[in-house]
Amino acid sequence: MKKNLFRIILTVVFIAAALMYIYPTYQDYQINKELAGLTGQDSLDYVTKNADRIKSARDGRLKLGLDLKGGMYVVMDVDIVKLLEDVSKKKDDPTLKQVLDELRAIPETSDEPILDAFKQKLNARGLTLKSFYGEVRDSESDIEKKLSSEIDNSIDRAVEIVRNRIDQYGVAEPQIQKIGGKRIIVELPGINNPGEVRKLLQGTALLQFQLLKDPETAVKVMQNINNILVGKQITDSNKTVSGNDSLKKNESLVSKDTTKKETAGKNEIKKDTTKKDVTKKESNKKDTSKKLDTSTIAGDTSNMSDTSSANLSEEEFKVKFPFFFLVRLNEESGTADGFVREQDKEKVDLILKREDVKAVIPSDVIFAWSQKSFEAGGENIFTLYCLKKDAELTGSVIEDARSNIDPQSNQPIVSMSMSSEGSADWARITGANINKRCAIVLDNVVYSAPVIRSKITGGNSQIEGMGSVQEAKLLEIVLKAGALPAPLKIAEERSIGPSLGEDSIRKGLLSSLVSLALVALFMIVYYRNGGAIADIALLINVLFVVGIMASFKATLTLPGIAGLILSLGMAVDTNVLIFERIREESESGKPFRTCVELGYRKAFSAILDSHVTSIITGIVLYQFGTGPIQGFALTLLFGLGANLFTGLVITHFLFDAYVEKGKVVNIG
Amino acid sequence: MRLLTHTNIDFLSKRKRYYLLSLIVAIIGLAALFYNGIPLGIDFQGGTEMQVRFSNPVEVDELRDAMDKSGFSGMEIKSMGSEADYLLRTPLQGEGQTVAEKIQTGITENLKGKSFEVLRTDKVGPKIGKELRTNAIYAIVFSLLGILIYLALRFQLVYAIAAVVAVFHDVIITVSLVALFNLIFPSLQLEFNQTMLAAFLTLIGFSTNDTVVIFDRIRENIKLFKNENIVSVMNKSVNATLSRTFITSGTVLLTVLVLLFFGGEVLRGFAFTFTIGIITGTYSTIFIASAIAVDWQNKVVSKKK
Repeated sequence: MKKNLFRIILTVVFIAAALMYIYPTYQDYQINKELAGLTGQDSLDYVTKNADRIKSARDGRLKLGLDLKGGMYVVMDVDIVKLLEDVSKKKDDPTLKQVLDELRAIPETSDEPILDAFKQKLNARGLTLKSFYGEVRDSESDIEKKLSSEIDNSIDRAVEIVRNRIDQYGVAEPQIQKIGGKRIIVELPGINNPGEVRKLLQGTALLQFQLLKDPETAVKVMQNINNILVGKQITDSNKTVSGNDSLKKNESLVSKDTTKKETAGKNEIKKDTTKKDVTKKESNKKDTSKKLDTSTIAGDTSNMSDTSSANLSEEEFKVKFPFFFLVRLNEESGTADGFVREQDKEKVDLILKREDVKAVIPSDVIFAWSQKSFEAGGENIFTLYCLKKDAELTGSVIEDARSNIDPQSNQPIVSMSMSSEGSADWARITGANINKRCAIVLDNVVYSAPVIRSKITGGNSQIEGMGSVQEAKLLEIVLKAGALPAPLKIAEERSIGPSLGEDSIRKGLLSSLVSLALVALFMIVYYRNGGAIADIALLINVLFVVGIMASFKATLTLPGIAGLILSLGMAVDTNVLIFERIREESESGKPFRTCVELGYRKAFSAILDSHVTSIITGIVLYQFGTGPIQGFALTLLFGLGANLFTGLVITHFLFDAYVEKGKVVNIG
Repeated sequence: MRLLTHTNIDFLSKRKRYYLLSLIVAIIGLAALFYNGIPLGIDFQGGTEMQVRFSNPVEVDELRDAMDKSGFSGMEIKSMGSEADYLLRTPLQGEGQTVAEKIQTGITENLKGKSFEVLRTDKVGPKIGKELRTNAIYAIVFSLLGILIYLALRFQLVYAIAAVVAVFHDVIITVSLVALFNLIFPSLQLEFNQTMLAAFLTLIGFSTNDTVVIFDRIRENIKLFKNENIVSVMNKSVNATLSRTFITSGTVLLTVLVLLFFGGEVLRGFAFTFTIGIITGTYSTIFIASAIAVDWQNKVVSKKK
């Protein structure tokens, strides 16, 4: 038994690991079963109570491919011709239009790079790229390089825009991948409305500069919302009523966690004087600590019964100020930026969508979310901004944006330049709104809300206060996205309805069970007890494959199930080779023990070679296949790999268990 | 229980016969291929495909009529088993998936009152179609190459070549037979798409398995029976492994048949191809692979002389 001790321990460890990885899938299955039996408030309660369990099960469970779950799979390429059109300075020039149409007529399958073809066609007409693109002082090759890099960078912009929109649309577990610098692959499980998603993915991005509503008004609006929720009267948001500071005490409950990040979120926008202006640079002031008048926060308290300054507990706070319970303000910051936990985001959205709530939001106000969250106290916090609905400027005025490190402060910054009309407008806007904040909004999501430091003429602005180089880079992409579109073409699209998905799951499971049963039965009939040993190894094999898939977070597809079934058939081969050898050897009269050893030894080379050749084709399939086919290759590879262990090692020590006791295993 | 043990069939002496058989089957099949072919699925050809399920049975002609009226005359309509399940296909891709939307409105307008559910839609643009085609070819070439190299390392070059030729033979025969079946039984509706490609690639691996087992035995027996003539040694080896060959092929065939009958439409092409492939593969393993090894060796040897 000693030589097998190591193998047995190894087996036990593997089995335990496999079970551990599979457990979340089982958990998830149980949770879904229980949820199916609950409705309405009960199910909501269940979800809140078991939030952690649900999350860990969801993270660790076996991922199902789109063909089993239903959903959409979209491959998008950059529409280079449209990009060339949008970027040109003379969009309406008829010659340009003609050339572009010719470009469009080139079959997609030709490998000729479009930029080269474009140049060729222009030159054939006696024109150059310079005629339609670039600055006066740019050379032809400069322009070509710029265009080329624009095309390359457009994919990044497209990815950001797509990601943004999908986040807003609200898909569980979306996947967005950039492939090879020119292509985006998007997987959206559970989507039932391909038409909507298609529009979502293909529309042009809208970049807007929107001023933030002044904090006093913003807070009043929020109070009105709060009162709706509590069922109280609304005040006219223009009146200021003095009240007590019961709120103030509770505000400070939160401000501790949020002050840390509050300063980081405070971006500043000022005139970019590095390039053009000779005048002194603006000092890098931190924002004023202008405190909000506590009386205005408290607002109309005449209807609140509890006017004493007693400290309200969390529960009471939740009841009296349900809106502020979810959307926390930091009074010391002097802003009305609301901080909302990630898990409450949806609730707030629902509140804001209510008809009665919408009625108290003034027509010139709109709420918008921050694009990203920050971490505070172990939670992800999003910021809710209160903006003026009408945009001061749209992104079309931006000519260029660049992220940099400010040489003097060593901090990441973004410099942006505007067109001449844009600059004039911008000067007016910034002049009238000094020390106010202006949000940079892409598709209704706020990427940054810096403070305007000074009147900015000449159109060159500098945004400071980003927390990292990545943040700055992201802002650069966003600013460019508004100015330079990244038109996308859908190259491939597959959408599978949920009923087909369920169908496939059922068929897959049925086939697996039937094949497993048939193979196991055959083994026992043909190889008797030896067959039973082989069957045990087979079952463990299946366990291992599923465990490996769960541990790699690989996706199971319908072809993947086929691959598993196939690998079972091939797994049997291992045992057949060994058992046939053992039978052969025992015919020459050797003791059974020796036959077993010889059988394993002699069969080994054939087993190895045959597995390797199948593994080679599996790898090739994985490399050159897409989606579901890769799923097939994976399960096949995992199955073959696992079999090298189960077929050779596990059956061997199971045999030894008998052989060492001098018994013979009946293999027919 | 024993099957096919202790046989002593002479497989090699009549090998010319088996070559001829393969050739005949190949010719018939390739004729079928050129005549009717295995249609390319939209994976490789590009196009839009939509599977719909009506709540009540609908006649094919009604559907075809509706499609003609919506501007899709000549659209391929296939029945997916029942009178209520149909597969619609057109080579048009259109921008975005407006083709799919047009089809949907076409059905709603022209088949008033017949509610239906769209089970799935696939649209493949020409660029992707071309890329998938190219990838398919690379896949086949690289797997054959990979196997050739590995086998050349483990066995002599002669055997490696023989194995690869045998596998290549399998692929051709399988393709031919699939085309033939498609011609004779159009209701099978086989088409060449990514899943069928996966079947071929797996077949390549699997068929090599089989061949390798025999070659492994030959390698062993050559050492044991040093003085015997190579043909006799090969015959012995094939006979010795016959039992194993049939049992393994049998069990894999069993699992694939389960897939064929229970696996649903998506896997049908795969399962069918693989079924034919296993049978062909077993045949080639027993009758062709070693034969090629012998003849190649003889040619090489005689060239040297």
